[in-house]
Amino acid sequence: MVKRAWTRRELLRSSAVAAGSLMISGAAGPLAFAAGSDTIRVGVIGCGGRGSGAAENCAESSPGVKIVALADTFEDRLQGLKKNFNVPGDRCFVGMGAYKQLLTIPDINLVILATPPGFRPIHLAEAIKQGKNVFMEKPVCVCPAGYKMVVEASEQAQQKGLAIVAGTQRRHQAVYVEAMKRIHDGAIGEIVSAQCYWNMGELWVNQRKPGQGEVEWQIRNWLYFTWLSGDHICEQHVHNLDVVNWAFKDVQPETVHGLGGRQWRTGPEYGNIFDHFGVEYIYPNDVRTISMCRQIKGTTDNVSERIVGTKGVWRSDPGVIDGEKPWRYEGLNPDPYVQEHADLIKSIRDGKPLNEGRRVADSTLCAIMGRESAYSRQQLRRAWMLSRCTLNLLPSDDLKLSDAKPVPAFAVPGQYQLPGWTPEARGRGKRG
Amino acid sequence: MSSPVNNAISGTSAGVAGATAAVLGQMAHAQGSDRIKVGMLGCGGRGNGAMQNCLDADPGVEIIALADLFESQTKSTRDRFLKNEKYKDRFKVNDDHMFSGFDCHEKLAKCEADLLLMATTPAFRGRQLMAAVKAGKHVFTEKPVATDVAGCKEVMEAARLAKEKNLAIVAGTQRRHQTSYVETMKRIHDGAIGELVGGQCYWYGEGIWFHGVPENSPMSELEWQVHNWYHFTWLSGDQICEQHIHNIDVMNWCFNGPPAKFTAVGGRAWRSFNQDQIKTAKEVCRKFNGGSDANWEKYNGDIWDHIYAEFEYPNGARCLSFSGHSPGTGRQSEKIVGTKGTSNCSSTITGENAWSFPGRGIDPMVQEHTDLIESIRSGKPLNEGQRVAESTLTAIGTRISAYTGRAISWKWLMGGSKLELVPRDIKPGPGIFHPIATGRDELV
Repeated sequence: MVKRAWTRRELLRSSAVAAGSLMISGAAGPLAFAAGSDTIRVGVIGCGGRGSGAAENCAESSPGVKIVALADTFEDRLQGLKKNFNVPGDRCFVGMGAYKQLLTIPDINLVILATPPGFRPIHLAEAIKQGKNVFMEKPVCVCPAGYKMVVEASEQAQQKGLAIVAGTQRRHQAVYVEAMKRIHDGAIGEIVSAQCYWNMGELWVNQRKPGQGEVEWQIRNWLYFTWLSGDHICEQHVHNLDVVNWAFKDVQPETVHGLGGRQWRTGPEYGNIFDHFGVEYIYPNDVRTISMCRQIKGTTDNVSERIVGTKGVWRSDPGVIDGEKPWRYEGLNPDPYVQEHADLIKSIRDGKPLNEGRRVADSTLCAIMGRESAYSRQQLRRAWMLSRCTLNLLPSDDLKLSDAKPVPAFAVPGQYQLPGWTPEARGRGKRG
Repeated sequence: MSSPVNNAISGTSAGVAGATAAVLGQMAHAQGSDRIKVGMLGCGGRGNGAMQNCLDADPGVEIIALADLFESQTKSTRDRFLKNEKYKDRFKVNDDHMFSGFDCHEKLAKCEADLLLMATTPAFRGRQLMAAVKAGKHVFTEKPVATDVAGCKEVMEAARLAKEKNLAIVAGTQRRHQTSYVETMKRIHDGAIGELVGGQCYWYGEGIWFHGVPENSPMSELEWQVHNWYHFTWLSGDQICEQHIHNIDVMNWCFNGPPAKFTAVGGRAWRSFNQDQIKTAKEVCRKFNGGSDANWEKYNGDIWDHIYAEFEYPNGARCLSFSGHSPGTGRQSEKIVGTKGTSNCSSTITGENAWSFPGRGIDPMVQEHTDLIESIRSGKPLNEGQRVAESTLTAIGTRISAYTGRAISWKWLMGGSKLELVPRDIKPGPGIFHPIATGRDELV
């Protein structure tokens, strides 16, 4: 995505839309609600582990940042941030509609979106509608319908001069940034192959408690439900898929073919997600890449990426290029979880808002495509996914914690129905 | 195929007493003719096919003995060939050359055949091959050649012994005898696509038969397992070993040897829910459990239905292996990627040295027998034993990595693994059932 500076005229126009006045000028444009100061006033939507981490990273990243409001579905989840940042009670919102309440506060000019990913498209759309700059955790959607919402909201952000930065922090990590510059400059020649992995043990699980409503339990145990997390290929492995896309200058794969299953982690507390995936992504010119991810306790770990060119190979771990032009990164390596916020806030203050929305949506869509291919065992084309696939896992507007929302069965090849799929879709563009 | 060279060899071998050990090895039983007397071990679908391929390959081929676990298979096979106008004159199997039972390979090895074709369940190949080589037989063996590490090592040992005795071993990885592959591979090895930096190989299909107990059959539980061998890892090696080995062998061919490291994921996402298969498994369960199908799951087999793996070859190239069965998109091919181009391994090269195979296709399933017999006649017996054992072990190593969730090395497979799934003494009786692998099984 081309990032460009905003003209004064555009800034004025977008500020006018956002603030309804012409009093703000120049760099203040994206700070439409800063009320005369350049203080970044942050609202956090989703105050669990990652939301709390992101809020702290954000506050640490730059001077003049204040955490001023909190929203979470559950009161217990926002207590930590409330205490740490002395957020007044009337700025703490609880419940399924909490995000909406927070977004109506005029003096908030940046929001952190860190709820389970299933809600992200809805939250992002509302945040942009309300004229907020956004930091959003990855992944940013779990289905093609959500992808389209994110892309739409990102375009609107562009028009309004609002920033969107995503929690794919490798894009802000010096050792990656410097390597990618070289790859894009031809240091390893033409890319002919790539591999990426997120093979690990296991993550937390929250067992259902007596009296807990179905939806409440699923949200508290959100990793394990496709409608909330997108499955672990989406929730975690998107990081690595994003790096491979980056190496390809964000040209997207045309075709995917995935395998996967639920072999070890089979209990009901693990919802309906898989515990392993292996997906082949095929980029233009028939460049085929390996993606592998696994969450099974006691198995061999590997979280890394590797890009193979005609003149050399880059490995993320330990960050080296081998080949005709050997290279090793020797500079500083600031904490990328902080750096991404620093870059975001600087871009806002400089009047050159970063907008990573489309890019992170594309990488998330790669993960979704891999998952759906593995669920259905069909080779899928990206063009089909965007034009014909009608999969929509977005929660309804009136979802309540007490709702009966049965966990769908995990996918079984031959039984899983991918919405919009027809046997005729298979023949076209199939790669042998 | 009768030639002056061949006659000369046959003449030499007529004087058995004075012959060198090498020549004795070549045609020990040819007794002055250019006939190749062939015994068949394993009379199922592939065995019947292999015999036909062998008969088509050389007019001197005569089938003289049949062996199978099940007597019914040897009988129906003989009946089928005797009714076939094309083959019946060269099908000379007397009643005393019809062998059955778990020790049928030992009886077969004692007969006067020059060449044994092996198409039994892969689990038993190592011991059968060893018995054949010890008895001085040339061998055509179907792939894979083992289901465990111990079996692969036994085949490697048999291959070494065959070399000593100047006996031929050709394996049913027929791409190695397919002109289009051979010609393409020559160019790859000559550097047409530069240094090899990646590759992919696939065998993904819709599924395979699942055999119940034939009506009125007296077969024991174990015999039923052998009859339905594909679905038990100890018997077939799982689909990656039984089928995908073809494509794996092509990758190994590209790199002139096996991978150094394996990382794999996989599972059983479909077979356990395949209603047709479950129905048969329940029938089998009732048959062996007095009408009860309470414990039907173990009769549903233990093989997985997908394995996704990465091979890392000694030069650092990482390649994809993609295999399994279920409804979905099928794939069956290979691709190799170099610094100067790519190839489908089977007919085309792209890039700086673009090329496509101009010739006509031949039937590689016949050609492999033609090459085998020619090599025997010329006194330069082909020996593919080590190579096919390596490709089999590549598949097994990948399976081990997937079953255990561990990244493993070739070095560990050869030096550290103690995996042995096939009992030495095997006889009709209760079945041998293992739990379905969990994805984090213990490394053995």
